[in-house]
Amino acid sequence: MTTDQKTPLIEVKHLSKAFSNSRHDLEVLTDINVNFYEGDVAFIVGPSGAGKSTFLRCLNRLEEATAGEIYFEGENILGNKVDIDRHRQKMGMVFQQFNLFPHLSVMSNLTIGPIKLQGISKEEAEERANKLLKRVKLEDRANSFPNQLSGGQKQRIAIARSLCMEPDVMLFDEPTSALDPEMVGEVLEVMRELAEDKMTMIVVTHEMAFAREVANRILFMADRQILEENDPVNFFENPKNERLRAFLDKMI
Amino acid sequence: MSLKENLYLNFIKEDRYMYLVSGLGNTLLITIVAVVVGILVGFLLAYIRTTHDKTGKWKVANLFAQLYITVIRGTPMVLQLLIVYFVIFASVNVPKIIVAFIAFGLNSGAYVAEIIRAGIMSIDQGQFEAGASLGFSYTQSMLYFILPQAIKNVLPALGNEMIVLLKETSVAGYIAMNDLTRGADIIRSQTYSAFAPLLMAAAIYLFFVLIFDSLVKKLERNLKNSDH
Repeated sequence: MTTDQKTPLIEVKHLSKAFSNSRHDLEVLTDINVNFYEGDVAFIVGPSGAGKSTFLRCLNRLEEATAGEIYFEGENILGNKVDIDRHRQKMGMVFQQFNLFPHLSVMSNLTIGPIKLQGISKEEAEERANKLLKRVKLEDRANSFPNQLSGGQKQRIAIARSLCMEPDVMLFDEPTSALDPEMVGEVLEVMRELAEDKMTMIVVTHEMAFAREVANRILFMADRQILEENDPVNFFENPKNERLRAFLDKMI
Repeated sequence: MSLKENLYLNFIKEDRYMYLVSGLGNTLLITIVAVVVGILVGFLLAYIRTTHDKTGKWKVANLFAQLYITVIRGTPMVLQLLIVYFVIFASVNVPKIIVAFIAFGLNSGAYVAEIIRAGIMSIDQGQFEAGASLGFSYTQSMLYFILPQAIKNVLPALGNEMIVLLKETSVAGYIAMNDLTRGADIIRSQTYSAFAPLLMAAAIYLFFVLIFDSLVKKLERNLKNSDH
């Protein structure tokens, strides 16, 4: 890998996160250091409760980290005076529960961000949206409302909505976990094409076979840390970490 | 005295029906202005309260809002009206109708605030997160995504508040406002006949409550048809 010489798109340094209440602190991430580069398709896997989703949500500050730094396109986005809304425009996120806006049509779900935040015209936004709807094969659903769609369709629209902001990186938080089994494939298909188009992606998932097929890096998270990182082949063939071996054994 | 004579005495003779007409005018005017004031105040308070609950900011403003809502909801409307008229505006000469606008509007605001707050809290946190992940600020997410859904959810409760307010204005007579109730009571005091004027006033209130009710139902249906 020669990626080390490039500047990372996202650089995570000593990231820690604890949820605290009056009685005790619960640490969920401990001193995480990792870089993501342009064009990376990085999959994060690991047992439940390892902190995978929390880590992903720290990257766009839906969760506030307790300590550490995250550099996105050169700027520490955990700094005090950072305009996080501006950075979030460049970091798309896809949620487990889709979170489409139910009171807006599919078209408006896609275009409201570009129109209100990037100041482009309605026509331009709709042109952009139509291309994306075609890409997720839902061009005939532009005037539907989210509640008229199946789970798989909703998630494809959610992906298109994020892409409509033309982000530099896409964060996927267990995008297929809430779907019926027969709908998982259509969402993974969209993600596969996205990866082929060289979109930078960071994906938290339990879809191991898909990770092996699509990722260029797989990170194993357990016990609040990234315990191992490797390319897909070595990740599955030569796991070094004891916890990872146990985890992979259980997967079969 | 026959019914016909009774009605003549109470409503026709000396144009007594005008007490009801002008009283109704004031009642409706106070209701409409108070609804508008109440919604403005209510939105402001609900926005302060939910922003505090969701982001932890605005501690002082939230305390003030909480205090306001507690005091207004914890004391009788009549007393609030009397306090606004005889205490707050004691030394300034303000038209009574303005006093009524303010007193009923501020009172309604406290109830509307809790209704709208409940509506906002009923919207899934994921909607805020989806807005945030696209780059919308908290205020923008509120405006574009949360409030449109929240208002639709609480529309029946808001309609109910409007109906309650219409009937509450019947205490305006305490500051010698000529509202519908007061109009009926004036007729009663002139004719010494209670039945016809009081029941007529009651029927008129009921009529307008039914109109408000059907308007709200119609609005609900329209909103329901606009999405699914």
